[in-house]
Amino acid sequence: MSVFFLYPALLFGLLAASLPILIHLLNRRKLKRIQFPAVRFILLSQKRISRSYRLRHWILLALRTLAVVFLALLLANPIFQIGAGLFAGSGPVSLVVLLDNSLSMTWSGDGNGFKQAKDAARLLISALNDGDRAALIPTNIDGKEPFRLKGQKDVLLKELEGIEIADGTADLPVALSKAYELLVEPAGQKEIRLITDMGLTGWDQFSVAALKQVDPSIALKVIRIGRKQQPLNGTIKTIRLASQGVGVNLPTQIEATVANFGDNEIKDLLVQLSIDGQNREQKLATVPAKGETSVKFQARVSQAGAHAGQVTLKKEGLAGNAALHFTLDAQDKLKILVVDGDPQTSLVQSETFFLSRALNPAGERDSSLFLPTVIVPDGLNSATLEGYQVVMLCNVAVLSEGFATKLQNFLRQGGGVLIFGGDKFQPESYSQRLPQILPAELREKKLGPEASGEKIGKFDIDHPALQNLSEDTLQESIKSARVWGYTRAAAPGKAALISLANGDPLLIEQKVGAGKLMLFTTSADRDWNDLPVKTVYLPLVQSLAQYLAGGKRGVLDAGIPVGTAKELSLPPAYVGKSLRVTKPDKQSTEVAIRGEKDRAQATIEVNDRAGIYRLAFPTGAEKDSGTPQIYAANPPFLESRLDEISARELQAKLSPIRAEVISVDALKDGGSRTDLALPLLALLIVTLLIEGWLAQRF
Amino acid sequence: MPEGNKNYFDPKVLAGIANLSLRARYVVEGLMSGVHRSRAKGFSVEFEEHREYSPGDEIRRIDWKALGKFDRYFIKEYEDETNLRAYLLLDSSASMNYASDGITKFDYGCTLTASLAYLILRQQDAAGVVTFSDRIEAFIPPRAKRDYLIQILHALENRGPGGDTDVGKILDEIAGQIRRRGLVVLVSDLLDEPAEIVKGLRQFRFKGNDVIVFHVLDQAELDLPFDGNILFEDLEAADLRVIADPRSIRTTYRAVVQEFITEMRKQCLDNSIDYQLISTTTPLDQALASYLSWRG
Repeated sequence: MSVFFLYPALLFGLLAASLPILIHLLNRRKLKRIQFPAVRFILLSQKRISRSYRLRHWILLALRTLAVVFLALLLANPIFQIGAGLFAGSGPVSLVVLLDNSLSMTWSGDGNGFKQAKDAARLLISALNDGDRAALIPTNIDGKEPFRLKGQKDVLLKELEGIEIADGTADLPVALSKAYELLVEPAGQKEIRLITDMGLTGWDQFSVAALKQVDPSIALKVIRIGRKQQPLNGTIKTIRLASQGVGVNLPTQIEATVANFGDNEIKDLLVQLSIDGQNREQKLATVPAKGETSVKFQARVSQAGAHAGQVTLKKEGLAGNAALHFTLDAQDKLKILVVDGDPQTSLVQSETFFLSRALNPAGERDSSLFLPTVIVPDGLNSATLEGYQVVMLCNVAVLSEGFATKLQNFLRQGGGVLIFGGDKFQPESYSQRLPQILPAELREKKLGPEASGEKIGKFDIDHPALQNLSEDTLQESIKSARVWGYTRAAAPGKAALISLANGDPLLIEQKVGAGKLMLFTTSADRDWNDLPVKTVYLPLVQSLAQYLAGGKRGVLDAGIPVGTAKELSLPPAYVGKSLRVTKPDKQSTEVAIRGEKDRAQATIEVNDRAGIYRLAFPTGAEKDSGTPQIYAANPPFLESRLDEISARELQAKLSPIRAEVISVDALKDGGSRTDLALPLLALLIVTLLIEGWLAQRF
Repeated sequence: MPEGNKNYFDPKVLAGIANLSLRARYVVEGLMSGVHRSRAKGFSVEFEEHREYSPGDEIRRIDWKALGKFDRYFIKEYEDETNLRAYLLLDSSASMNYASDGITKFDYGCTLTASLAYLILRQQDAAGVVTFSDRIEAFIPPRAKRDYLIQILHALENRGPGGDTDVGKILDEIAGQIRRRGLVVLVSDLLDEPAEIVKGLRQFRFKGNDVIVFHVLDQAELDLPFDGNILFEDLEAADLRVIADPRSIRTTYRAVVQEFITEMRKQCLDNSIDYQLISTTTPLDQALASYLSWRG
């Protein structure tokens, strides 16, 4: 039961209710003075009639004030409404029904919240009278046709049937802005009804300032889909790789974090991992109330390339998104040619001993992503570099002309080269054979006693080649290393990835064609530094190898939240072409590829469903090794949280829009509306008549 | 007799006549025309007192012996033996200085008092005048001499209204000064405590005096004919003021005034006092008729 006004702005007329009081006060100030002998009789008279006189006086004042109030209310045209607001005979209505189709509606209303919401919308549409117009806007607009007000109920009901639950969070600012845009047209009565579960996540980021269009005079009625029971409420928060990379036939550790939003512990929760549609492993987990639990799986993939994975929660009565999609990019072993410039009969003293073990610590064929092949410089001329992703030259004294040419071609085709210094390393030869592609100008060697070695001063942790060193322990480890021998290099204007405390560069990069050349100015073994015996050595070598091989592959990608855009960086050859995106529901969309700087860019915005999106690239272009073939989109984590915003908070958020929260049950109970203009007019006339009559009598 | 068609009993007409003596004469002569003039009923040459000479006194009545003794002129006063000694008491308090339309209550009272004095002296009765507010302003003892009217008029004309009313106390005081029985005529608006007034009047009655009360009120005091919000300020008490809307209290006010008049009338009747309510719009002959009806 409520009263609202068609022209609330005219309620300012209520201020005029103070006029009779002001007139009364002004009259009191404009007194006529008379000298009179019988004042005591006047006093006596006043005393005698004092009570009734004052009463009459106040009655008159009240009647006059009431008359003004009635007039102001009459002009504002009040409508009396019983129930939640079906419309009954008060002129044509322009109604916008906003239907919350965010994912959380799946679990609201004890499991059938969206059905309840649709029933409520159906009820509102059915209650429209001839001349009324309405529009139906879902809160998750996924590029539907432009919305407009229409009077055909059957069309509206058909539209309603077509609205489905989305996998994202309600986009309330967009939906509300659309509603206000539609209601800009003049209409007798303007109404907005938002049917929602009042999920906190959707309202958290809401601000009236974000609305493109708003009209505070149009009241907003929020029809709340509540729930009677408090269900178990949890979801998968994150998924990540717990091991280094994803290699073919290599054991891969995958860790899923399960969150519990509820106040009750979730016991015996079955957490299942599947890859490429096949169930790989399942575990039972217990998640504490308002807490998190991590579940670890181990899996192997037998083929290189992209794989679709999914972690699923299985528990009866569990509310919240139960499936998290992810992708795995499994890589074949990276073949690395390691050239030992200082081979020794004792392996330990060999130049490449530490390096080859950093690349394959177990020394077994199927235990590492990296497959190093160690040769001596004599074999360089006959060696073919095809089939290798990375070449590492360790303390190789000189480069023959033939090999240098091979090396340059290898680089231009996308290969990676890492050159280590050492006592045999002759800078002049490198400068001569690799002109203009060396990252720095090589100068003299600098060698001192081990005890007075330089510490490492700076390293660029944000560089992708050093991304494996993000942990604090590794950073501490690299800082503790000492370098007492290195080849001085000058690279004006170029920042080194790692530099010594004295400022001399230790690791410098140069891009050559599609490939990368890196120069490590010290040795790969312990002859000139103690890095090989530091913890950081293995991840550093692996990280550099990964980077030089064309970026990090063998990764797990947890995907993007539904509703956000996926940005792709592609080789320049793709510019002007388009790629095809196949959504989880098998619908395909073409996405144009545009040029940006020296790369091609594609922005995929159709990520409105949770699941795996598959990409088909145009033929005739060179494929980039780092380009994904598939990616995952998942509902926003917090959309699974069933917490509601309170009515008061909601009203505060919506201020200055007047918002009223009513339950969906109240809507079902129906209601009626009465235009109070006529009764008010009658009251006004009666009040004026009584006032006139009393004024004459008093 | 007045000339023309002017009604010289009309207070408004009288107000146009500045001379009180003339006013009194017009009223009385007009009233008495056609009425049989009664003979004087008594004469006396009994010495009463000396009084200082004042202009208008007959030279032959100067006591030359007294002049010799005191080097001042004194007139020997003789008490006339008459059947009537009339004390005319005129209220000259500030409340009498009110006129809603034309003549003030005090002017009306003066004319009435003068007319009565003229009438009484003309009938060779003794007339004296006392004007008072909360104290005696002037005391002219009763004499039966025809030319005594001049002194009475002089006393009336030289006194403007002013001061508070305390009728009860003053009546007590005057009653103490009257030695011989007679007629006491009180001309006042009686805006005082009725009980006090009646108590004072009763003093006269105890001493065997006849008492006539002329209750003079302005018509506005009876009707309260004003409109709008008005700040009423009392003529006597400066701190007595009240804001009122006469329209809303008029009926009650009239009832209150009528109750007061009724109470006064009743008290007077209970004490064998003639009571006459006179509005300042009442023609003076009606007021004098009340005296004449008493005089028989």
